[in-house]
Amino acid sequence: MSFTSVGFIGFLAAVVVLYYALPKKCQWVFLLAASYGFYMAGGVKTVVYLLFTTLSTFVAGLWLGRLNARKDALTGPEKKAQAPVFKRKKQMVTALVLIANFGLLFALKYWNFTASAVSGATGGSVILPQLNLLMPLGISFYMFQSVGYVVDCYRGKYKPQRNVFKYALFTSFFPQVVQGPISRYDQLSPQLMAEHSFHADHLKYGIQLCMWGYFKKLVIADRAAVLVNTVFGDYTSYSGSIIALAVFFYCIQLYCDFSGGIDVTRGAAQMLGIDLAENFRRPLFATSLADYWRRWHITLGQWMRDYVFFSLTLSKPILKLGKWSRKKIGGTLGKVIPTATATFVVYLFIGIWHGANFRYIFYGLWNGAIITSSQLLANTYYRCRMKLKLADDNRGLYVFRMVRTWILVFLGRYITRAPRLMAAFYMMWVTVSRPVLSDLWNGTALTLGIARMDYVIVLGAMAIVVAAEFFQERGTEIRKWLEQRGFLVQWLAILLPLLVLLVTGILRGDYISSEFIYKQF
Amino acid sequence: MKEKHRMTSGQWLVAFVLTVVLLGLSVLGFNYITDPFGAFGDRFFQWWSYDETMNPRVAKIEYLEQNHELYDSYIIGCSSTSSWPVEGFNEYFDARFYNMIMYGADMLDVELMSKYLIEHYEVKNLVVNIYINNAEEYNTESDPLTYNLNYKVDGTSRWDFYKKYLFLNPRYGLEKLKKYRNDSYLQAAHDVFDEATGAYDKSRRDVENISDLETYFTKAEYKAFVDYPQRTGHINNLEPCMESMRAIKEVCEENGVNLMVVCPPVYYKNLEYYTQEQVAAFNRALAEVTDYWDFTMSSVSFEPRYFYDKTHFRNCVGDMAVAKISGDDSVYVPGDFGHFVTADNVDQVLETYWEAEPLAEDELTAKVPILMYHHLAETGDGGDIISVEDFESHMATLTRAGYTAVDFDDLKSYVEQGVELPEKPVVITFDDGYESNLTLAYPILKRYGMKATVFAIGVSIGKDTYKDTGESMIPHFSLEEAALCADAITVGSHGYNIHEVAGRDPEPIRQGVLQKESETEEEYIQFLRNDCEAMDALFEEALGRTPQVLAYPFGWHTTLSDLILKEEGIWATVTSDVKINIIIKGIPQSLYAMGRLAVRGSYTADQVLEMLKTGQRPQ
Amino acid sequence: MREKLMEILTETCPGVDFETETALIDDGLLESLDIVTIVAEIMDAFEVELNVEDLVPENFNSVDAMLELIQSLAE
Repeated sequence: MSFTSVGFIGFLAAVVVLYYALPKKCQWVFLLAASYGFYMAGGVKTVVYLLFTTLSTFVAGLWLGRLNARKDALTGPEKKAQAPVFKRKKQMVTALVLIANFGLLFALKYWNFTASAVSGATGGSVILPQLNLLMPLGISFYMFQSVGYVVDCYRGKYKPQRNVFKYALFTSFFPQVVQGPISRYDQLSPQLMAEHSFHADHLKYGIQLCMWGYFKKLVIADRAAVLVNTVFGDYTSYSGSIIALAVFFYCIQLYCDFSGGIDVTRGAAQMLGIDLAENFRRPLFATSLADYWRRWHITLGQWMRDYVFFSLTLSKPILKLGKWSRKKIGGTLGKVIPTATATFVVYLFIGIWHGANFRYIFYGLWNGAIITSSQLLANTYYRCRMKLKLADDNRGLYVFRMVRTWILVFLGRYITRAPRLMAAFYMMWVTVSRPVLSDLWNGTALTLGIARMDYVIVLGAMAIVVAAEFFQERGTEIRKWLEQRGFLVQWLAILLPLLVLLVTGILRGDYISSEFIYKQF
Repeated sequence: MKEKHRMTSGQWLVAFVLTVVLLGLSVLGFNYITDPFGAFGDRFFQWWSYDETMNPRVAKIEYLEQNHELYDSYIIGCSSTSSWPVEGFNEYFDARFYNMIMYGADMLDVELMSKYLIEHYEVKNLVVNIYINNAEEYNTESDPLTYNLNYKVDGTSRWDFYKKYLFLNPRYGLEKLKKYRNDSYLQAAHDVFDEATGAYDKSRRDVENISDLETYFTKAEYKAFVDYPQRTGHINNLEPCMESMRAIKEVCEENGVNLMVVCPPVYYKNLEYYTQEQVAAFNRALAEVTDYWDFTMSSVSFEPRYFYDKTHFRNCVGDMAVAKISGDDSVYVPGDFGHFVTADNVDQVLETYWEAEPLAEDELTAKVPILMYHHLAETGDGGDIISVEDFESHMATLTRAGYTAVDFDDLKSYVEQGVELPEKPVVITFDDGYESNLTLAYPILKRYGMKATVFAIGVSIGKDTYKDTGESMIPHFSLEEAALCADAITVGSHGYNIHEVAGRDPEPIRQGVLQKESETEEEYIQFLRNDCEAMDALFEEALGRTPQVLAYPFGWHTTLSDLILKEEGIWATVTSDVKINIIIKGIPQSLYAMGRLAVRGSYTADQVLEMLKTGQRPQ
Repeated sequence: MREKLMEILTETCPGVDFETETALIDDGLLESLDIVTIVAEIMDAFEVELNVEDLVPENFNSVDAMLELIQSLAE
C-alpha cells in the first residue's frame, strides 16, 4: 500500500481508532495483525521471507541468550576458562543466522547483478543463471533491524524476547517496514508492548507530522520527479545546465520523498503513542560529508557504526594493522590508518546497501574516499585553519563548509540517479563542458514535463521547508511555537496545508479537457 | 495581558476532523453544483450541450428525465446517426423526434438505450442507425467517466455512479465554469450538441462555403480524403451485434413501437476496409433480422463533399435520404441513392454496391461565375461607374458567346431540386441599389433577355442624401420602383445599415459586417438581427418577400455573421472573393460566401469574357 | 595510570577539557572515531582487551569512567 494512496489513509485511520478502542492488553496483538495485514496487502507470497528472517533471528536470539545465561552462571576461574568455548559457540550461532539471512538478501537483491558482472568479466565464458525472484517489501530494512537484534543478543546487551509473537511485531511494525527507520530492539519493543491510553497530544502531533510528510511528498517530490525522469530518461539530448537543473531537482525530490515518507512513518507511529527514531536531521546544514551522513538516513549510519565500524575497529586484523601503522608510520597518520580503513569499508557497505549496481559501489567508494581522506588530512586542515586564524565557530567558515558539502553531495547524486555509471560521468562532463546557461531561461526548461506553475510550486514549497528547517536548526520547536499562537492562527495552520494538499493533488489528478473530449468532431 | 484563546489538543483534533470534512463536502458540493457530466440533472446551469459533450450517454438521459414530454420518437445509433434530420423525420412520421446519437456507441449500448427509452418514455417511432462498423466492436471497455452509460440504463450500481461523479476531480467543474463565462454563441469544442434536437450542432460547419475539390482538400478536416488511412476491418462481432438488433426489434414489437432501421451513407474508401464477403455477410445477416433502408453505397459515396470528414455524412445528405424514404420528389436525390432492403432483394442490392460509380463532374456540379457592377452613367469613370455604352457591349458579347443569365432562385433550384441550369450560366449583380440600375441597366437587360440581382443598402433605398447628414450622393431607387422591374431585376440585401463609410459615418466605423471592437458578442448578434428585421419589414411591404440573398459589404464576413444571417432566412451570400463558383446538387453550402468577379468600368467586353473563362482579373 | 590515560586523550582530542567534563559522549565531545582511536591506544598501552560490548556511553563519559573500565578489565 503506497503511503500516498487513499487506501493507506483509510487503513491508518481505522488502525488508530481500533487501537484505542480495544482493551489495552490487546493493543500489541492488534498491531501485529494490522502489520501483517499491511504487509500482505502488497502481495501474500513475499511474507514468507519476512517470516524466515523473523523466526531465524528469534531462535538465534533465544539461543544466544541461553549461552550468555549459562556463562554468567559460572564464576571466577571457571568463567575465565570457559569463556573462549562460549565465545566460539556464540560465534557459530551468530554466523549461521547471519549467513542464512544475508545469503537470502544476496540471492534476492544482488545475485543477478553478480551473475552478469561475472559473465561480463569472464568475457561470457562463465554464464551464471539469473534468478527471477520478487523482492519482498522492506527487506533491506527489516533484515538489518533483525540482524541488529541478534548481534545485540550476542553482546549480551539485553535478554532476548521469549514470545515469538511479540518479537514478530518488532520486525514487522507496519509504519517502518517500508522504508525504515531501522530501529533498535531495546528502544522500540518496550514501546510496542506498553499499554497506550489515548492522548490527544499524540494524535495531534502525529497528524501534523504526517501532513508535513505528505506536503513534502505530494507537493514537492512527485512534481520534481517528472522533470528528473524526463531529463534522466533521455540525458543525451540535454545541455549541461539542464542536466545540472535535473540533478538539483533530484536532490530536492530525493530528500522530500524520503524524509517525507519518514515523516509519515513517524507521524503514524506517533498517533499510536510510539516514538520512532529520527532518520533525518536537516542535512542541508551539514558541515562536512561525515556530518552529512550523521544527518541523512541516520539510523543506517548508526547501524553501520554499531555493528560494522566498532566490530571492525576492534577486530584482530584491524588492531594488528593499527599496531603496525603506529610503529612503522607513526605520528597522527599512523594512528588514523586503522580507523580510516574501517571507515572506508563502512561506506563501501553503505553504497552496496543502496543497490546492486556498479554505480552504488562507486558511490560508496566515493564517499569512503572523501571521508577517509579528510580523516587522514585532519591535521593539515587544522594547521590551515590556524594559519588563517579562523576559530572553529567562525561564520564564514561555517558557510564555506556547508557549501563544500552541498557540492560533494550534489556530485554524488549524479552517480546514484544516472541509469549507468558511465552515464553519470558523461553527464558530469557535459555539465562543465557544455553548460549552455541560456537554456535555463530560453524556454527549454518548460519542455521537461512540468509547467511554469510547477516550478513556482516546487521552489516555493522547498523554500518553506528550508525556512522551517532553518528555524529548527537554531533550536526553535515549531510545533511548540505554533501551540502558543491564537485560535485563528492554529486553525489556519490546519486549513492551509489541507487546502494546499487538496489543490496540488487535484492539479496532478487525471483529467481530460472538454476541448479534447470529442476529437473527431 | 489578554488571554489568547488557545487550542487544546482535543480541540485541535476536532478542528482538524471538521476541516477535513468541510473540505471534502465542499468538493462534493462543488461537483454537484457544477455537474459537468450532467449526472445529477445539471440543476444549476442546465447547460446540456456542455454536459452532453462530456458524456452524451449520461447527460442525455438526465436531460430527457426532465424534458421527455417534448418528444415522442427517437433516432438512435453511433456517431453517424447525428446527420439523420429530426425535422425530416418529424414531417414524414408526423412526430416529435429526438436524436439519441451517442458517439462511439456499439450495438449493446444502442440496445440498452432503446430498451430504456421504450420502457420509460413515450416512443411511437424508433429509427435505428446501424452499419458494418458496428460488427467490429461489441461491449468494449469504456472510459468510466466519458463513455459509460447512465446507471439507469445499464443497471449498474447507483452508488458507484453517484460516487464517481461526486468525487470527481474538481477541475472538470472549474473548466465548465470557465467556459460558461466565455461561451460564444457559436458552437465550440466543448459544446458539440444541440440540446433541443440531441443531434450534433453543425451550425458552424453548415455555413462554410463548399466549392471545388481543390480548395476543399486544402482544409484540414478534408485532407484525409486525399490520403485516406488504410485499415483492415473485420466483422468478428457480427453475431452479438445482430442479437442486439433482434432484441431491439422484439422490444419494439412488444410495445407497439414503429421501428425503422437505416444504414447510413459510407465513403467508398471506408467500405473498402471490408472484403466483399464481409459486406455481404453483414447485409444478409441484417436482412434476416429486419427490413431496412440502405444508403451505404451509391454515387454519393464517392463524393468527398458529401461528408463532414472521412466517416460522417453531411446533414444535407441526411435530408436527401429522408426525401428518398418519404418519396419526396421536390428534393434532389441521386438516382442510385437508397434502397429498401428485405430478405428477398438483399443480393440484388449488394450488386448495386459493386456497380456504383461516381457521377461525372458536370452531372453533379455546375460552374457559375457572378459578375459585380455598381453604377451606370452616360460616361464611366473606369472604376465603379460604367458607361451605358460599355455595359451594353458587355451584355451583347455575353449573349453572343452563349452565356445565359440566371438568378439566385435558379441556383437554388439546381442545388435543392437538381433542376438543370443552362450550359453557360452567369449571374449578373449590382451593388448598392443605384437608380441607374433601373433606369439605365434594366432596359438593356430586357433587350438581351437577361436578368440581374441588385443588392440594395437599406438606409439608402429611395434616397439621394447620405443617411441624415444631408450630404448628397448618387440617387438610389425605391423598392416600389424596383417592383415595377421585377421581370428582370430581383432585389437582394446589402444590409440595412451595415455599409458604413469612412468620412461620412462617425468613427470608429464598422468594417463591413464585422463585429466592432467595442461590441460584445451579444450586442453584435442583436445588431445583426435588428438589421435583418429592418430589411425584412421594408421588403415585405414593397415586394411581398423578405430578402433571400445578401451581398457582404466589402466582401468581409465571419462564421458568426454567416450563421445569424442564415437563421434570419438568407440562403445565399456573395463576397468579393475573386473566383468562379462551383455549386453542387444537394449541397446548400455551395451557395454560401460565393465569389464574384468585379467588373470595372474600364474593362472591355473581351476582357470580361476572358475573366469569365479564367476566373481572374484582366491584367 | 591516570597520566598515561590523559596523555592518550589529549593527544587524540586536543582542545577538550578532560579534567572536568563528565558527559563526553552524551554531549558529543567525543565521536565514534575518537572513541575507537582512544580504545586502540588504551588496549595497546594498558594491555587489556576491550570488546564492542564495552563501547557504551557510561564507560567513556568521563576520565574516571574510563579508568574504572580499564581496571575492571585488567583483572
